[in-house]
Amino acid sequence: MGVLSLTTVLCLACSDTKPKPPSPPVGGEDVRAQVLSATSDCILGTAREFLPKAQALRDATAALRDAPDAATQAAARAAFHEAMDTWQVMEAIQIGPAAPRSTPGGQEIRDNIHSFPLYNRCSIEEQLVSKGYEAPGFATSLVTRRGFLALEYLLFYEGAETACGANSVIVANGTWAALSADERAARKRAYAAVVAADVSTRAQTLVDAWAPESGNFVKTLSTAGAGNAVFPTTQVALNTMSDAIFYVEREGKDQKLARPLALRDCSSDVCPELLESQFAGRSKKNLRQNLVGFRRVMDGCGPDFSGPGFDDVLTAAGAETVATRMREQVLAADAALVAIEEDDLKQALVQDKASVQQVYNGFKGITDLLKTDFITTLDLEPPAGLEGDND
Amino acid sequence: MTDAEGREGTPRESYPRVWSWLLAPRDIAALAVFRMALGAIIAVSAVRFLTYGWVDVLFARPRFRFTYWGFGWLPALPSTWMPALFVALGVLGVLLMLGLFYRVTVALLFAVFAYVQLVDVTNYLNHYYLVSLLLGLLCFIPAHRAFSLDALREPALRSDWLPTWCTVLLRFQVAVVYVYAGLAKVTTDWLVHAQPLNIWLAARTGLPWVGPLLEQRWVAYAAAWGGMLFDTTIVLFLLWRRTRPFAYVVVLGFHTVTFVLFPIGMFPFIMVTAAMVFFEPSWPRRLLARLRRRPSETVASPTHGAVPAPSWRGRVALGAALVYAFLQVALPLRTHAYGGNVLWHEQGMRFSWRVMTREKNGSATFMVRDGVTGREWHVVPSQYLTRLQEREMAVQPDLILQLAHHIARDFEATTHHPVEVRADVRVSLNGRMSEPLVDPTVDLAKEEDGLGAKAWILPSPEGPPIHLRPTRTARAGGPGV
Repeated sequence: MGVLSLTTVLCLACSDTKPKPPSPPVGGEDVRAQVLSATSDCILGTAREFLPKAQALRDATAALRDAPDAATQAAARAAFHEAMDTWQVMEAIQIGPAAPRSTPGGQEIRDNIHSFPLYNRCSIEEQLVSKGYEAPGFATSLVTRRGFLALEYLLFYEGAETACGANSVIVANGTWAALSADERAARKRAYAAVVAADVSTRAQTLVDAWAPESGNFVKTLSTAGAGNAVFPTTQVALNTMSDAIFYVEREGKDQKLARPLALRDCSSDVCPELLESQFAGRSKKNLRQNLVGFRRVMDGCGPDFSGPGFDDVLTAAGAETVATRMREQVLAADAALVAIEEDDLKQALVQDKASVQQVYNGFKGITDLLKTDFITTLDLEPPAGLEGDND
Repeated sequence: MTDAEGREGTPRESYPRVWSWLLAPRDIAALAVFRMALGAIIAVSAVRFLTYGWVDVLFARPRFRFTYWGFGWLPALPSTWMPALFVALGVLGVLLMLGLFYRVTVALLFAVFAYVQLVDVTNYLNHYYLVSLLLGLLCFIPAHRAFSLDALREPALRSDWLPTWCTVLLRFQVAVVYVYAGLAKVTTDWLVHAQPLNIWLAARTGLPWVGPLLEQRWVAYAAAWGGMLFDTTIVLFLLWRRTRPFAYVVVLGFHTVTFVLFPIGMFPFIMVTAAMVFFEPSWPRRLLARLRRRPSETVASPTHGAVPAPSWRGRVALGAALVYAFLQVALPLRTHAYGGNVLWHEQGMRFSWRVMTREKNGSATFMVRDGVTGREWHVVPSQYLTRLQEREMAVQPDLILQLAHHIARDFEATTHHPVEVRADVRVSLNGRMSEPLVDPTVDLAKEEDGLGAKAWILPSPEGPPIHLRPTRTARAGGPGV
C-alpha cells in the first residue's frame, strides 16, 4: 500500500502538468468554431484509426474459426486488444452517429459495437446453444448478444459452466450440458467471427457517417450555427460535445469504478464481477483509454493533446484556472491508474482496495469540475437536462 | 379625488375615500381581455408540455418527489393520470379564454395549476408561481360578465363594470413581481460584475446578427443595469397615463429580447400579458372602434348613490386582501432574516421573484455509513433522481436535506441498522470556482427540516465572480488557440 501511494505521488510529480504544447495561431475565427472543427476531425480520425483494427479483428477471428490453434487464438486475442484500445478512446467521445438516437445526429452505432454496461452472458450462451448467431436477423438482435462484450467472452472465456439459471431453457432442457467441450469451443469461434464481422461493418458505417465523401458529419458538426438542422447554434454543438465527455461520470466513475468498489449496487466488500472487462483483464486499460478520449476533446487531438480543445474555449474566455484544474484532475486520475501495478483492477480490488478508491477519487475530481465550474463557465447544460423553461 | 386614470371621482363623504375608490365602477373590458389572454397562455403552455414530452419527464419518470415544507401530505397522482391533467389544463385554459362556466373553470384551473407546481419542488419556476397567483386572484374577480359565453348564456350576469379593487389587486400583484425582480438585481454580482449575464451572453455569440454584439463586455453591463432599471421602474411608467404607451413598447422590447436570448419559455408572454392590467379600462373598446373605423362606444356608468357602509363581508374581504398584500410584500423579504447570500444558501429564495439572478451548478455525492457495521456506500443522486431533479437538488440545501433523509430511510429499510448520511456537495455560483455548499461532516439524517436557519450550510465564497472575455479573436494569433 505504501509503495503504491509513493508511486502515485511520484507519478503525479512526473506528470505533465505544464500547459499543453502551443498550437499554431489561427486568426480571425471564433475559438468555439475552431474547437468544433478540430473535434470533428478528431472523431473522424479516431474512427478511421479504429476501422482497420476492427477489420483485422474480423480477419483474425475468421482465421481462428477456420484454423483453430494456439497461434490463431493468440492472434485473435491480440487483435481484440488492439481494436478495444482504440474503441475505448471513442467511448468517451460519442458524438453524432455513434451516440443514442435521442441526441443530435445520433444513430446508435456505439451500442452496436460496445453495449457496456448492458451485458447478458446467459443470453450469449443461449445463442451458442441455438446457433442464433447464424440467423439472418442476428445483426439486428439485442445488443447484449453482440459487440465487444460478447466477443470478450467468446474469445477469452474457457470455462464450461453457464451463467444461466435453472429457469433458462438451455439449463432446464439440458442442452448446454449436452454440448461437448469441442463443440462448445467451435461454436464460440464461429460466433466470435460473426460478431467481429458485425463490429467491422459498424466501424465502416461509423467512418462513412463522418467522412466528407459520404455522410459528412464532419461538416455537420464543424458548421454548427444558423442553417444547420442538427446543430442550429454552436452552443448546441458544444453542449453535445460536453454531454459526450460526461462518459467519465456515467460509465467511468459510476459504472466501472463505484460498483466494483462496492460503493453502490454491491452487497459484498468488493464486486470484481462488476468490472467492465471480465475475461480479457483490461479494465484498467479501458479506463486509461477513456481518459485519452476525454483529453482529445478537452485538451486537443494533436500530439501530446495539442490543438484546439475545450480548454482553449475556457482559456480564451479567461477561465484558465478551470482548464488547468481540469488537466490536473485528469492527470491525477491517470496517475492513480498507473500506480496500480497489476494489468487489471481485479487483483487490486481484492488486495489493495484503497488503490482503486484512489482512481475513483480521481474520476470524481474530474466529474465534480465538469458538473460545476466547466458547465457554469461555458453556460452548458448537464447531459439529459430538460430543454425546458427557466427563469 | 383623482384615480389612476386621471378621472374625477365622486366624493363620498360618508365613508373613507379608499373604500369608495375601491368600489368605484370601471369598465370590465380590459380585465376581460386579460382573462382571455391568460386562458390562451395556459392552453398553449399545456400543449407545449404535452407535445415536448415534459409531462413524462417531469411527472412520470421521477421516482422521488421533493415536497414543499408543510406540503408533504400532497399525494402524487398516478403518472398515467398526469397527461390527462394537462389535457384538462388545456381545456380549462380555453374555457377561461371563452369565459364559459367561469367560476368553476377558474377555481379548477387554480387548483390544478397549483397542484402541478406543488407536487415537486424541482418544477418551481417564478412564472408558474405568478400564474398560480393570478388564477387565485381571478377566483374572486368576476371577469366573465362581458366578452364571455357566460354573459351570452346568462343575460342577468352581464355587466360592463367591475369594481376598481379588481384592477388594483391584479396591478398590485404584477407590480410586486417587477419591483422585487428589480431589487433582486441590486447586487454586486449583477451591477458590478454583470454576472450571470456575462456568462449567458458569452455563450450566445454564435447567434446571427446580434452575436458579435454580445461578446462586447459593455453589452453585459448595459443589459445588467438596463434590466435592473427596467424592473424597478417600469410599473411607475405603466401607471402614469402619459408614459404608458411608451412603457408598454419597452415592455414588449424587453421581453422579446429575453425570449430570443434565454430559454425562458412562456415567461415573456406571461409578463407581456400581465402588464396589460395597467392599461386604461376601456382600451379594448377603443381598439375595436378604431379597427371598425367607428366612434368609440361608451358604456353607461351604473347609477349609484353614496357608497354604503362596508358590510361584515366587505370588511372581511378587505382584511383578506390586506393580509394577502402583506404576505406578498413580506415573503420576498424573509431571506433577510437568514443573513448571508440568498443566491448561495437559497433560504428565502423561492417566491421572492429573484428572476434570472444566478448561474449555479453543483455536484453532489452522498456518503452513507452503516451505524453498526461501519460499512460505507457512495450514493450518486441519479440513483434516485432524474437529471433535472439532480440539477436542482445539487444547488438547493433544503432539497439536499430531503434527499439525504430519503436515502437514510431507504438504507435503514435495507440494512435494518441506523445510518449516517453526509453530503459532499460542490457548487459554482456565477462562475466562481466551485466550493463546498454543505458541511461534509454533518450527519444530515439527524438534521430536521424546517424554516429555521440551517447551520450546516457553509458560508458563500467571498471572491468576485468570473469575468469572461469574448472567445472570438479579432486578429490573427488571438488568444487561446
